[in-house]
Amino acid sequence: MTEIGDLLDDIVADVDDVFLFSPSGSLHERFLDHGIPAVVVAPENEVNAERYVELPLEFKDLAERIRFGIEGALGDDYVEEGDQVVCVAKLFSEDADTVTRVRVGQFDHSGVYDLFVNSRAAPSVIRDVLEVAIELGKKGQKGKRVGALFVVGDAGKVMNKSRPLSYNPFEKSHVHVGDPIVNVMLKEFSRLDGAFIISDSGKIVSAYRYLEPSAEGVDIPKGLGARHMAAGSITRDTNAIAIVLSESDGLVRAFSGGTIVLELDPEEY
Amino acid sequence: MVRDRFISWLGELSNAEQNLVMAMLVVLVGLVVGWLTAWLVRRTLEAFRVDAAVEGTPFERTARQLGTTTTRLLAQVCGLFVFLVAVVYAASLLQIFPEETLFGALISFLPKLFVAVVVVIAGLLVADKAELLVDERLRSVKLPEVTLVSSVVKFSILYVAGLIALSQLGVATAALIVLLAAYAFGVFFLTGLAFKDLLASAAAGIYLLLTDPYSIGDEIAIDGRRGIVQEIDVFATRIENDGEEYIIPNRLVLRKGAMRVRN
Repeated sequence: MTEIGDLLDDIVADVDDVFLFSPSGSLHERFLDHGIPAVVVAPENEVNAERYVELPLEFKDLAERIRFGIEGALGDDYVEEGDQVVCVAKLFSEDADTVTRVRVGQFDHSGVYDLFVNSRAAPSVIRDVLEVAIELGKKGQKGKRVGALFVVGDAGKVMNKSRPLSYNPFEKSHVHVGDPIVNVMLKEFSRLDGAFIISDSGKIVSAYRYLEPSAEGVDIPKGLGARHMAAGSITRDTNAIAIVLSESDGLVRAFSGGTIVLELDPEEY
Repeated sequence: MVRDRFISWLGELSNAEQNLVMAMLVVLVGLVVGWLTAWLVRRTLEAFRVDAAVEGTPFERTARQLGTTTTRLLAQVCGLFVFLVAVVYAASLLQIFPEETLFGALISFLPKLFVAVVVVIAGLLVADKAELLVDERLRSVKLPEVTLVSSVVKFSILYVAGLIALSQLGVATAALIVLLAAYAFGVFFLTGLAFKDLLASAAAGIYLLLTDPYSIGDEIAIDGRRGIVQEIDVFATRIENDGEEYIIPNRLVLRKGAMRVRN
């Protein structure tokens, strides 16, 4: 078995940093005891690590998870472009079982970290909206596949770049995403046409909005429909982000600055 | 039958012997009633979910270490009190007390002692519980100094409970009450002063949220600052204009009024 050991040695040779994905307390401590302050990437900073990147979603795909962690570490200046890092993560079991080596900057910058951390809306609001979209994509509305468009953040400007299609069911109500009852309401209203508009703090401002930004110069992959085009253009025209559930292929996509920054398959969550 | 024989048997005894029998009877009844009281109190406390409410407090933990629970302890205190009263009566029947006044003093003192003990236990429980609740609420504020707030809450409650218990026992508490008054004045007056603006804003904010005179997306001007409303919460309205975001306390909206741009 020395061959395996040698192979592992090769993988971890000359690395600049160690990334621990959702580590147990004892694993993190083992690194600390040897004077290696690892970067911890987890939904919550349970081990009180000094260098910590918050995972807003439990990405099922390991590559997505690593990409998010590295973009986050880059954003917080924990690592530099070109650094060699080793990632310790769990793939199949409840304990760390995977070691992989990545060069920082190996991926194109997807902006998924910026989507959560540098958007106008709070990361928890974006996560809640994503969760509603994912759940809607998984179950559909009464078994039927539906599409939906959520515009999050910069609500004042978005309201001025859109018009009501009908009476706004959320008028004079002060409800926020993340509340379980509100999530049911959002699902019920998802069969309405138009977009949902959600403010920076997560308040649902309106449903039934027809977005009218200028679609000039927005480049989204061919084959996606008017809903995605509207999402792309509104995020280019304002500082909002948009989360779209596609009716045709069932994927959830997040837009920021006119481009797709995240693509998720609801079935995987 | 049995009663007649008991009475005739009692009549044959001397006066002192009669008293001894009566005293023993009183103690026996006290024991039964005390046990019944303890049982009843425990059931009542459990029915009101007191045992669930005190879960996790340091007092409950200490009680568990001593092999009992808070509810059982409270029930036992009540039962013990009833039993003590019976014992004192029995003692007076046996004429152990040299004077009648001592008996009277003891009988009037016992309820006070009982109330004092219950107040101290309740004070400990409420203080622990309040500390836990405040701690939980403040956990999201990641600042080590906020634990001071929960300690202040805990010791304030303990202080008041101690004061009530001491005054029950007839200890001179005048100085402590003056201290309490000064403390309460400090807390209410100073926090009132500190939160004056926040409270005024919250009152205005509730009005704004209820009536919705302007909503997100409207263009308004408050106190000379004009822009598009981005957010309205209880304390402040955020309006934005060309990359500048103004956070305007809601009390200004009521005091100075707001201008809504219609077009």
